[in-house]
Amino acid sequence: MNCSRVRRSLPLLAGKDLPAGKARRVEKHLEKCPDCRKKVEEIRAALAEVRAIADRSTLDWPEAEWRHLMARVKSGSPKPGRRPLLLPGLTRKSWAYAGAFILVLAAAILILKIVRPQPTPATLAEITVSTPTQPARALSMKQALLAPSPQDRPFTVFEDRKGPARVMLAAGPVPGKPAQEMMSMTLVSQKTGLQVHWTWNRNFEWEEKKK
Amino acid sequence: MVELVLSGRTEAFEPLVTPYRKLLLTLAYRLSRNMEEAKEISQETLLRAFRYLRSFDRKRSFKNWLLQIEMNVWRSLPTEAPDETALRQMASNSAPEEPEGSLDGKEAREKLLSCLDELSPREREVFLLRDIEGRSVKETAQVLRLSGIAVRVHLSKAREKLRELIKDRFPELLEGRR
Repeated sequence: MNCSRVRRSLPLLAGKDLPAGKARRVEKHLEKCPDCRKKVEEIRAALAEVRAIADRSTLDWPEAEWRHLMARVKSGSPKPGRRPLLLPGLTRKSWAYAGAFILVLAAAILILKIVRPQPTPATLAEITVSTPTQPARALSMKQALLAPSPQDRPFTVFEDRKGPARVMLAAGPVPGKPAQEMMSMTLVSQKTGLQVHWTWNRNFEWEEKKK
Repeated sequence: MVELVLSGRTEAFEPLVTPYRKLLLTLAYRLSRNMEEAKEISQETLLRAFRYLRSFDRKRSFKNWLLQIEMNVWRSLPTEAPDETALRQMASNSAPEEPEGSLDGKEAREKLLSCLDELSPREREVFLLRDIEGRSVKETAQVLRLSGIAVRVHLSKAREKLRELIKDRFPELLEGRR
């Protein structure tokens, strides 16, 4: 061991607070190093001097003050013992760790919610594209009125006489099929061929397309 | 004795704590260096000891438990200025027969005790418990709620500082001892 390492251990060696193995190594060094030996002797002498004075200089309560203090203490009463813990075997420290963990978890969830972008609702156009449409069928008014069930709708109805087209919309749930999410209507002008396509979703948000 | 107090015989508290009355006051003074504060610390220590006696673990040393309360009380109080009167009173309480080679005169003893003021509060706590009160490193760590390593580090610094201070102010003491 070199002197700088030994000197760090000398205050503890002087008070016999060094582990036995290390103390032996330091003492071995001291046998051949007068400087380190001088230093440890100085620490021992300083400790002995302070201890000697401390042992001989103590303070005590004046008797009257002590009596008064004891009377004051005894006028109270010892507090009841600690309340039992919620679960036996769990110390206050355990509860503190559990509480801290829950707080960290809650903070992490909150941060994730703030940082992570909220999914925006799909636009009507996107829903329209992704929803398979039933092909419309062209029926005469007579056929439409006699249609046996709603699954035959939607359809475009042509009047027998010349004039604007009338359109009938599908309505009501179809037995055995999922509830309808979308509803659409196409108006066709027989004069110009202009087609106006209206689409509604279940919230009655609508979109119009012209061809 | 503890059981007696807890069973309602509060008069048993006085003989329980009387052996420590000097220790508590002296240690409080060495920590605070102010006589009024020292009395306040010891008084609060005894009040708390009585109030919380039910939580005292009978497997532990009662003395160490009292010391632990006193350290907590001392740390919770704001620091006041050192009180020289009490230091002089303390230094004058020496035994009539003084060992050979020790300091002569109250003034010199006062100066030597005032070397403790140069230590940091934590170094002073560790030094007083280990080197003056003779608690082991483990007991000191328990009383101060520190690790054994932390106690050794503060103790080492405190002893080294004291050596330097005494060598500087009282070189004859170290010369005479060797």
